[in-house]
Amino acid sequence: MNRGVVPAAEMLHCTDLTVLERQRARMKWQQEQFHVVQQQQQESYFSELSGVFSVPSQVSHVQSFEGGLLGGGGDLVLGPVKPDPALENGWPDLGKVVVPGYGFGPCGPAFDANYAISRTTSCPPAVAAEAKVKESSIVNHKMSAAVGRESFKKRKADKVHNTKVGAEDEAKDKRMKGCAEEGDSKITEQNNNNNKSNSNNNRETSGDTSKENSKVSEVQKPDYIHVRARRGQATDSHSLAERVRREKISERMKYLQDLVPGCNKITGKAGMLDEIINYVQSLQRQVEFLSMKLAAVNPRLDFNIDNFFAKEVFPACPPNFPPIGMSSDMNNPAYLQFNPVQQQVVSCSGLEMGINPSDMGLRRTISAPPETFLDSSCFTLQPSSIWDADLQNFYNLAFDQGRSTITTTPFPSQPFTGSIEASNLKMEM
Amino acid sequence: MRSPSSLKQEFLKKWILGLQVCNSLKNMNVFERKKAIKLSADVAMASSRNGKTCWSRALIANASRNDNGKEFVEKILGSDYERQNKNSTMSRRTRCRKILKRSCTTIRKAMKRSTPSRPKVLAFSVAKKMIKKRTQLLKSVVPGGEFMDEVSLIEETLDYIISLRAQIDVMKSFANATEIENRKKDQQW
Repeated sequence: MNRGVVPAAEMLHCTDLTVLERQRARMKWQQEQFHVVQQQQQESYFSELSGVFSVPSQVSHVQSFEGGLLGGGGDLVLGPVKPDPALENGWPDLGKVVVPGYGFGPCGPAFDANYAISRTTSCPPAVAAEAKVKESSIVNHKMSAAVGRESFKKRKADKVHNTKVGAEDEAKDKRMKGCAEEGDSKITEQNNNNNKSNSNNNRETSGDTSKENSKVSEVQKPDYIHVRARRGQATDSHSLAERVRREKISERMKYLQDLVPGCNKITGKAGMLDEIINYVQSLQRQVEFLSMKLAAVNPRLDFNIDNFFAKEVFPACPPNFPPIGMSSDMNNPAYLQFNPVQQQVVSCSGLEMGINPSDMGLRRTISAPPETFLDSSCFTLQPSSIWDADLQNFYNLAFDQGRSTITTTPFPSQPFTGSIEASNLKMEM
Repeated sequence: MRSPSSLKQEFLKKWILGLQVCNSLKNMNVFERKKAIKLSADVAMASSRNGKTCWSRALIANASRNDNGKEFVEKILGSDYERQNKNSTMSRRTRCRKILKRSCTTIRKAMKRSTPSRPKVLAFSVAKKMIKKRTQLLKSVVPGGEFMDEVSLIEETLDYIISLRAQIDVMKSFANATEIENRKKDQQW
């Protein structure tokens, strides 16, 4: 037994050397691999990878060596004796010798930690099987070298391959499966495989989504909508269409939110709909109210102004308007040519165009052609801050004058209106 | 989408035509006049969209149902009206009668089915119900909204709100103008 063990220990030592050499050779390759990988992976992934790449292979070597030991001492029935002190020593030896030999500068501590972890979990069934399969370390060496070469090729291929999709991937996968039986670099391979399968998955999913996109774009011809199914989202056409619909609705709702005042703070569709309904109803009510106001304001006038406007809109009417009604307090001779409505229009256009209100001639020229009247007429009448003070003044003035019309008008609650501006203008003149 | 000022111009042009019709109608009390004014304003607003939107078409269709409104519609839309009417009736013949009826019945059926089966009072279903209710309400508010799906309903609501705003602006300035004139007349006397 002792004899059996001692050669085994010798063998351990010599094979240890070979293993070391092999490991060094492998590590060269792996470093190369690393450089390749380094370009592709992020820094954080790097240290993790380093552990995964190097350690399990080493462990598997140890395992294989164990197998070799078993094979060498074939007559030894005592399987349990196998973890003898020499071997036990061999483990840390390996660990000690190999670790510095690796020369992974930046990731030394991480490597150690990983090594510890992988030692604790260093009995993957595939590796054990491999240990059974491989009798001698030489064979193993050859095999591993072959694997290394192959996988290196694969690496290269992968590198070349990064931009390509298709059958090559499958072939590679097949090759990978073939290699996986070697088990020597199985874990690294697995890692590769994972990476690759991830990328494959990505490619697949991207292909999928692109297909779906094309579907969707077929469905909605006018505008191309880019739909991406996120993780866990359904990708059949119905749910996709539903998602597109919902996105459309939410987009429209956003526009509505911008349009409807006071809708910005509300979250939730129901609240938003409430607000929108309220707004639309208020607008409708406003229309109703305004039509009521119009009906009440001229009970028997029969829309003189309407006629006037109509005449003005349609070119049957000459640009010079005959004075219809004149105010009693007109002192300005230029004023005489304008009827009240026109004056209001003029004032509004003057307001809009920023013309000095006292500049009568200019305003006349502006108000003369009907088209300009239409363009710059009172529709964009908006109270500016400049006018506010004037309006206030005027409001007081008007009340000082004791006009009964203001008090009797049914809608005195609109201070910033064209009427007051027009009257203001009148006051100025 | 046109600029709001051009929308207002268009609306004003059409509305003046409508108001001329209002002028021709005599012997009305305030409420009748108000109704006429509102109708004319609505029709004018709808016609300013040139029948491109569902709500405007629905509004015109609703208005032309009674005689008073028909007058407005004919006057305001003028030659457009015949064309539009022809188009709409043709399309209505071909598709509306059957499909609409069927869809209405299915909707009614679905409603009947849904009401007796009491769903569980979950927050989710409550929220859904709330949204459904409000959507129904919005459909009743926007003219012609009963026949729209949700996406187009929101689009139409957008357009409708913009048009209503333009209408209100024009009507406001118009009302102010008339008010001023009245006041001046009062002063004159």
